[in-house]
Order: sequence, then structure tokens, then C-alpha cells
Amino acid sequence: MFNKDEKFKKFKEAETIIGSSIKVKGNFHGKGDIVIEGSLEGSLKTEANVFIGEKAKIGASIEADEALIIGEINGNIKVKKYLAIGKTAKITGDIQCGEISIERGASITGQIIVSAENAKKIEIKKNKEEEL
Amino acid sequence: MNTYIYDDFLNKGRYRRALNKVEIRLTDLGLNGKIIRLGSIKNVKEVIQTEIKNGVKTIVAVGNNATANKVISAMITNKAYDFFQKDVLFSIIPIGDNNSIATSFGIKKEEEACNILLARRIKQIDIGIAGNNIFLNKVEILSEQAEVKINEDYILEINKKTPAKIINLNDDTKLSLGKRIDPYDNKLNLIIEKKINDTTFITGDDFKISGQGKLLLDESIEVLLPAEVGLIKEKINIIVGKDRSFI
Repeated sequence: MFNKDEKFKKFKEAETIIGSSIKVKGNFHGKGDIVIEGSLEGSLKTEANVFIGEKAKIGASIEADEALIIGEINGNIKVKKYLAIGKTAKITGDIQCGEISIERGASITGQIIVSAENAKKIEIKKNKEEEL
Repeated sequence: MNTYIYDDFLNKGRYRRALNKVEIRLTDLGLNGKIIRLGSIKNVKEVIQTEIKNGVKTIVAVGNNATANKVISAMITNKAYDFFQKDVLFSIIPIGDNNSIATSFGIKKEEEACNILLARRIKQIDIGIAGNNIFLNKVEILSEQAEVKINEDYILEINKKTPAKIINLNDDTKLSLGKRIDPYDNKLNLIIEKKINDTTFITGDDFKISGQGKLLLDESIEVLLPAEVGLIKEKINIIVGKDRSFI
């Protein structure tokens, strides 16, 4: 399902990639797309998109514009626009996003707030900024 | 005017033939200039600085990565760099082993280097620093267990099974993400390539490395850990070939 998602094809060119054998601790802040296949403890924040791979183990809060999650996360997730959760995902924490899709088999323990309104507001604001 | 800096090791007889070929080719192309042999010099920096003050246009390191490192260090480590050295060009005529810097410049053989010098294709690239030593290509982290703190924000744990390199200018054509390494962007890239599907790629400008072990700069200079790796504010003008590893 998500492999065919055009939105996430560009992850191959992500600004930051953390491989499956790597452990990262601390506050990981970036502007570009981030791919995590390994483990991360702390916080993860980007103005762009995040991909959490199947073998990834995340003990961190995540903030991003859009995200695709197919790994394990212990922490809250805040995504401005579209959040895609795959069947292998295991999430313990609260989720807040503009739009969501959850594949059958995914495990989520926590509160989910989906506010399309929020996503639209951001979109309108962005369009206005582009016009200026 | 060109100045050619010959490294000590070229005094050995086995390099005589290669040097003869270079000297004949340079004369044919009208590129001959002053030759300085490092073997007979105690203060390399002073000699190169004097050449620059006397108006040399191009300084050519004849030798390998270690030669390039010595020459560039002498060129840039001076407060007056911004005023009168920034227009001085640097290039390499590779002779002997450990010539990854020349390879990344697109210079593979000594005679080809002479033609490239004539063509004067110029690029301005970043210069890395690790401890007190500069590098152009890369820093290899040789450690059983080390931590890399990046931009003061987060820490990466690495070991001998996860060999890490911090790259400014890529010299490895087999590196899967090599094309994304940009020597103009004021950034370095940390790459750990364990398997095809297990690659780590991080962009940063400040890498603090702690633990036991050492760093290997441009396959020629060792720096003991702990050490800090980054970029210096100066850049260097280099003469490159068409087959260089960057745009």
C-alpha cells in the first residue's frame, strides 16, 4: 500500500539517513527529509518529511510536515499534514495530524487527533506566503 | 608562473622515470617553472609563503596525498591568506601510491596532470580540518568504540563494525551516495556504509569524536582521538580535470 505512495518516493533522496545498525541519542533537528532505519532516543523534528523504517526503534517525540511510519515508536507524534501508518508499525504515544491513513495490522496505543482543518489552515497560510 | 613542489620520496630512483616524463611534458607545453624539493627544506611554510608573496600563480604538489596536504597547509595557514593568496591556484601531479585527492580532482596519471594544468579548469572547494590538520577528501574514524557528537545536538555510537567516514570531497566511485557529496556547500557528510541497504548519511559542520582510537586524514595523516572535525573558513582554488568526482 505505502510502497506505491508517490508522496514518499523522494525519501530515497532524504537529507539524513540513519542506517539500521546505528544508534542515535539526542535532539535530531533538521530542515530536510529524514529516514530512520536504526534506533533513536531523544527527539526528532523536521520542517519536511520523516520515514520510520520497519526495523527502526524510536524512543522519541516526532514532529514533521508529513510522515510514513512502519517501525516501532515510543513517543508522541505531531504531523502537520499527512501521516501514513503501515501494517508493521507499533506506536505507543499520542498522535496529532492533519490527515491519517492506517493500514490493517498496525498497533497504536494512545490518543489520535485528526484535524483536517489544521492541515487546511497550514496549506492556506503556505499558499499566501508563496503569493507574497 | 608555476612552482612545483617535489616531495622527499621522489628522490628514490624508481620515481626518476616518471619525473623525467613529467618534466619533458611540462617543457613541451610551456608550463615549466621553479622546482622546490621538500627534502632540502626545513620550513616548508616559509618557502611556500615566499613564493606566494613573489607572485606565483599556481602551486603544484608533485607526489601524493601527503604532499598535497603539506602544500595546502603551508598555503592557507597565514593571516594574509584573504589578501593575496586567494587567487593562487593549487593542483597535483600524482606520483606513487595514496593519490585519492588527485583521483577526485580527475587526475589519474602524471602526464594527464600536465594537460590538465594547461587547460586550467578552476573550481573553489571547501577545506576540512581535524585536530590541527587540514584535509580535502575524508577523515576515516578508526576506533573499536567511539561517539560522534554532531552539531552539538545528537550523538551517534559507532564501532569497528560500523566504519565511519567524514567526507568533504568524495574519492570513492563505489560509494552509493557519493554523488550527493558536495565540496562547495560548507558542509561535511558522515557516511557509514555497512551493506547496500544499511547506509547512514548525515550532513553537518561540526563533528566531535570521542573514544579510543584515531582518525586517518586523506589516507596519510593520523590524528589521535578525541578530536574535532569541521571546515575552515578559507576555500582553495584548484585546477581539476573533466573526470573529477564532483560537479
